[in-house]
Amino acid sequence: MSEVIEPGLELADRQNRFVSEHLRRIFIQIYRIVGNVSDAQDLTQEAFIKALQHQEQLKDEQKAAHWLSRIATNTAIDFLRRSSRASFCEIDEAPESHSETPEQELLRGEHRQYLEDGLRLLSPRERTALLLRDVEGLAAEEVAEQMSCSKATVRSHIANARTKMRRYMERRKR
Amino acid sequence: MRHPNQATLALHAGGDLGKFARWKLERHLAKCDACAGEVAAYEATRDLVAGLDDIPEIPWNHLAAEMKANIRLGLAAGECVRAESPLRLPWFSTGRAAVACASILALIAAGIIVEGPKPAPLTVLAQPMVEATDNGIQLTSGGSTVGLMNRGVKSENVSYLPNAQGGISASYIDPSTGRLTVNTVYGQ
Repeated sequence: MSEVIEPGLELADRQNRFVSEHLRRIFIQIYRIVGNVSDAQDLTQEAFIKALQHQEQLKDEQKAAHWLSRIATNTAIDFLRRSSRASFCEIDEAPESHSETPEQELLRGEHRQYLEDGLRLLSPRERTALLLRDVEGLAAEEVAEQMSCSKATVRSHIANARTKMRRYMERRKR
Repeated sequence: MRHPNQATLALHAGGDLGKFARWKLERHLAKCDACAGEVAAYEATRDLVAGLDDIPEIPWNHLAAEMKANIRLGLAAGECVRAESPLRLPWFSTGRAAVACASILALIAAGIIVEGPKPAPLTVLAQPMVEATDNGIQLTSGGSTVGLMNRGVKSENVSYLPNAQGGISASYIDPSTGRLTVNTVYGQ
């Protein structure tokens, strides 16, 4: 006996499955760019809503995943441009960690803050390119695809970003 | 010795140079300690940045449930807005419609002007015409002709003289009276 599934329910099921499959990956990707859990949460929701409003793009799973990543990256870049700020100031907000001592937690927070201060010197696109390449470990081609630009542009962003970060770290050492 | 620029060294630190550029740079680095030191510094920077991969410990299940609920809510709100908004074709707008209507009206007006009833040609009313003939002066007006004959005189003995009023005078000696006779006809 075959079960009749309402088209609306089927669509809702597909959407839920899509969200569940990609939610963590997209949240982490956005979090790394904006560096803030609360903003990352809002932007993740925004990216999924944008993506799910174009059902026709979601038919091919592989393409849909890439497309979603691209939407997430662009949403995060737009946010950085709008706000011209992004902070990792979550030492107070972060929930208690049971695996780290308070000292370790403090050190980790300070280290993150130190890196975040450096990332703030980069343009939104330089920051995104650097994080996708050096933190996410994507190939330059994949970064270019996600940022909707050429590989040469990505290399230029990455070179600028590494140079600025290095100068920042050298200044902080003195 | 010519040193590579900082961008090249920075890209090499992350393995982002093409094959030929990498081979060329590695040959240079083998001979140049300064540039090798620069690359090492970039590599150290890169390693530090890579440390950003850790994610703060967050109550993921709670956060995920909240995000899923908000996504569903956002999609439902979007559906409501879409259902209420009138059909809008992407290429259609009020401004474009106004321009199209104005163009159509202009075309119709131009068509009427070009193809409409032509005004009747101006008819020039025939002016009365006075002329000398062999036997007198003739006035033609409105399709009818009136003549003033020279009585009992040959045409070669008559002299005609036009005047400023558009008329003609015929002068001759009347053979029956022997007097000078002048007949004038005005074209009025």
